Amino acid sequence: MARKILAVDDSASIRQMVSFTLKSAGHVVVEAVDGADGIAKARAAQFDLILTDQNMPNTDGLTLIKTLRALPEYRATPILMLTTESSEEMKTQGRSAGATGWLVKPFNPAKLLEVLGKVFR
Amino acid sequence: MSIPSDDDYAPHVSPTIYFDRAHNIEAAKILPGEYYVTQRDMVIVTVLGSCISACIRDRRSGIGGMNHFMLPGDDTDVTSQSARYGAFAMEILINKLMSMGAQRRNLEVKVFGGGQVLRGFTTTTVGEHNAEFVLQYLKTEGLAIVAQDLLDIYPRKVYYFPKTGRALVKKLRSVHNNTIIEREREYEHRLLSTQIEGAVELF
Repeated sequence: MARKILAVDDSASIRQMVSFTLKSAGHVVVEAVDGADGIAKARAAQFDLILTDQNMPNTDGLTLIKTLRALPEYRATPILMLTTESSEEMKTQGRSAGATGWLVKPFNPAKLLEVLGKVFR
Repeated sequence: MSIPSDDDYAPHVSPTIYFDRAHNIEAAKILPGEYYVTQRDMVIVTVLGSCISACIRDRRSGIGGMNHFMLPGDDTDVTSQSARYGAFAMEILINKLMSMGAQRRNLEVKVFGGGQVLRGFTTTTVGEHNAEFVLQYLKTEGLAIVAQDLLDIYPRKVYYFPKTGRALVKKLRSVHNNTIIEREREYEHRLLSTQIEGAVELF
């Protein structure tokens, strides 16, 4: 089933890879270039899932998650982190902020789709 | 040779710091698969065969660094393992610079390497693929390349001074041993013998 997904990353290369992977699986993808852009786009339209980087200019991924979790329309929406950060400390922070899961880069396209399948089940 | 760990492919910070008498300055030497970032006035040094080094700095603050990487294959399709690993190696360096205070909009880049160096009496296109990747990556990211010295057939020794952005490149027209090639081969082996993908955890 096609879902509407927001992909937030300051790296155009990563956005390109993520979009390509998700669109190939039939999903609709909207890209955001940093956390602030991600929050603005999430407020402007409802998404079924958000995939966000952590280290970005303006607003980072954890702040994006905390901001969106405070909105009734995103209280239960799956939000996945896709980041180079792999420390347990960061994962704990992500979990506390309300992240649904934590994916460490570089991502495996097949595994990303597998995770989405589990999240949407 | 050590057994690769789960994330043996991940770039590591160079542990080798010494005093460079020729330039009268503290120096960090980086090997294949390593990177180094600093806000201090120092030089970062590496020797490249077919690998690539991206030297990136914030032109306002002088925070800068260098990586040294190669792709684990020649498939550079948008979501190929090579492209994903290359983007990962670049992002690790850029993220570290940003965490030290560099601003993405102020970044300037110099790229070196990708030599078509002789490997066991056969030439390969490994260097060419690495060079093509880094140019395409920087174009996609919109990061300005202020200098480049890529391809050719010689290994290079690169000195990068992040504080000023100065880079010195010495082409090694004759090398006395195989150390450069062997180090790159060991790195390549590490990449090829490890599953290059990050961990996944659902909370």
